[in-house]
Amino acid sequence: MDNRLKILIVEDEPEIAKSTLSFLSENDFICTHCIDLKSANLEIKNNFFHAALLDLGLPDGDGLNLIKKIKSKNSNTGVIIVSAKDALNKKIEALELGADDYLTKPFFLSELNARIKSLIRRLNVEENKKIVLNELTIFPEEMRVLVHNKKIDLTTKEFSLLLYFTSNQNRVLSKTVLGEYMSSNYDDYGFTDDLVYTHIKNLKKKLSSVGCAEYIKNIYGIGYKFVIE
Amino acid sequence: MKLITKSSLTFISASVIFFLIGSIVMYFSVRTIVSTNLNSVLNDKKDEVTLQSISTELNNYQSKNLIIEKSNHVSNDRFSDTVLIEDSKYVLYRKLDFYLDQNNKFYKVTILESQNRTDLLITKLVIMILGLAFLFFLILFFVNRHSIKSTLKVFYNTINKIENFDINTTKNLKLDSATTFEIRKMNSVIQTMADSLKKDFESQKEYIENVSHEIQTPLSIINSKLDELIQSENLSKTQLEQIAVLMDSTNRLYKINQALIFLTKIDNRFYNEASNINLNKLLIQQLEFFDDIINQRGIKLKLNTNEELNIYMNKDLAESMISNLIRNAIVHNNFRNQIHISITKNSFVISNTGEDLTFPESKIFDRFKRSESNKRSLGIGLSVVRSICKLYSFSLSYTKDELHRFVIKFK
Repeated sequence: MDNRLKILIVEDEPEIAKSTLSFLSENDFICTHCIDLKSANLEIKNNFFHAALLDLGLPDGDGLNLIKKIKSKNSNTGVIIVSAKDALNKKIEALELGADDYLTKPFFLSELNARIKSLIRRLNVEENKKIVLNELTIFPEEMRVLVHNKKIDLTTKEFSLLLYFTSNQNRVLSKTVLGEYMSSNYDDYGFTDDLVYTHIKNLKKKLSSVGCAEYIKNIYGIGYKFVIE
Repeated sequence: MKLITKSSLTFISASVIFFLIGSIVMYFSVRTIVSTNLNSVLNDKKDEVTLQSISTELNNYQSKNLIIEKSNHVSNDRFSDTVLIEDSKYVLYRKLDFYLDQNNKFYKVTILESQNRTDLLITKLVIMILGLAFLFFLILFFVNRHSIKSTLKVFYNTINKIENFDINTTKNLKLDSATTFEIRKMNSVIQTMADSLKKDFESQKEYIENVSHEIQTPLSIINSKLDELIQSENLSKTQLEQIAVLMDSTNRLYKINQALIFLTKIDNRFYNEASNINLNKLLIQQLEFFDDIINQRGIKLKLNTNEELNIYMNKDLAESMISNLIRNAIVHNNFRNQIHISITKNSFVISNTGEDLTFPESKIFDRFKRSESNKRSLGIGLSVVRSICKLYSFSLSYTKDELHRFVIKFK
């Protein structure tokens, strides 16, 4: 049986849908795409999804209406709201209706990827307690990292960076993407590059000091890439 | 002065003038009537005396009120008023002088008629009439006052409602219906105005949201395409560098868009929820977000926040105000790397070391005004701070001595 994760994408903007689809398919998700409420309702009724990505402003209504339907069909389906409307009350409304996460456009695909993975981990705790990559073992819920079965101490930022990298393996992550990810607490521009550089430098140092292979590669001029050969 | 006071004052002063003139006119007209009456009494007496004089010697008639003197001529009758002293009291008399010819002997006869009784009567009459008129005016005054008051009730109600009308709330302005034509008209004009204002405000809010949506969708597309682009294996170093610049510019565009939307929202009073904010706690929270950069740049932070400061304002705006000031102090710092923050019971002061401004001081809070040396700054943070301060009427000022110093004074 195909044990890949199924994702429902409800998005009316064709270009965004196209790149999201191709990106998620590359990352081993099976994607179904709907452009309006009507077709989405039909899909929800007939199929199971691990996660759903909902755009709020759809041609035939508000995506908020779908949250309840998805959750009542199967509460294990993770719901991520994607919208340009960053008004706080919309966000609160969506979360109250049962949405698990909220992404504001424009978002980076790697960010979306990390969010989906973390969401599915959260909703299916038993299967996904740890991530094992060769000598590297990560326990996301406990914020614990083992290298060759030896615990290493990482700061919160370093840990979330590492998790972000492992969620986006073999993918170039630009400095902008990483900076955005790290400074999501305060809307910022201007000095995140330095921060990203410092934190990654420290993370790499800590990993290699206990004999972990150099998985985080520097891509000249643009960013970093986590590579598992 | 209140409308009701003004109308009452007009009423009262008009009444006083009326009473003054009215009582004088009345007094004299009554006097004239009484005099005419006395004259006819005196004329009757004259006829009597004249009749008697044909048969009888006049001198026998002499009495207190009838004085007969010899005269050497005859003249016309003459009425006049005179005052006599009786028992050391002044008594007003009406007097008639006439002349008689008795067997070619001339006599001047003076008849006196006391006005004492009639005078009393006049006074009583005048007092009575004036009292009645006064009572009439008093009743009129209160009736009038009451009717104006009840008419104005709707008017004051309208004023009260306009005063409390907040365009930000979802509530529409609802004015009472009035019975008076003028107030009804006024209410309907105000109602129409408020409704259209509300409509414009709503559509403006919608416009802001639409613009943000419209700009962000293409930005989203650019972002994700660039992200896909850098995944290809066969890009040259130059190409990668160029893409990196594109990504950075897109991100910058996105941030500018966000900041402008935020500014417009502040100016449109979008953030109208407020609560009591402890600025000391908020400062500590915001500084935590900057921990990283402060450590990494080796910035020496000096806090002087012993006094507690609570401000009633919107939480998001309070956070933005403080974090923009901190960010500004970090971004525009120089090798000396110092930031001082102090909170007193009515002010927030942040100062930092940094290069001199390359533009006039007065323009420091303007949008997109920034030093040539710092191209990476968006140049919008301080104007956000200014907008927030303006919204709450906080005074925001900038001074430069050894340090760049920003002071917010709260009332």
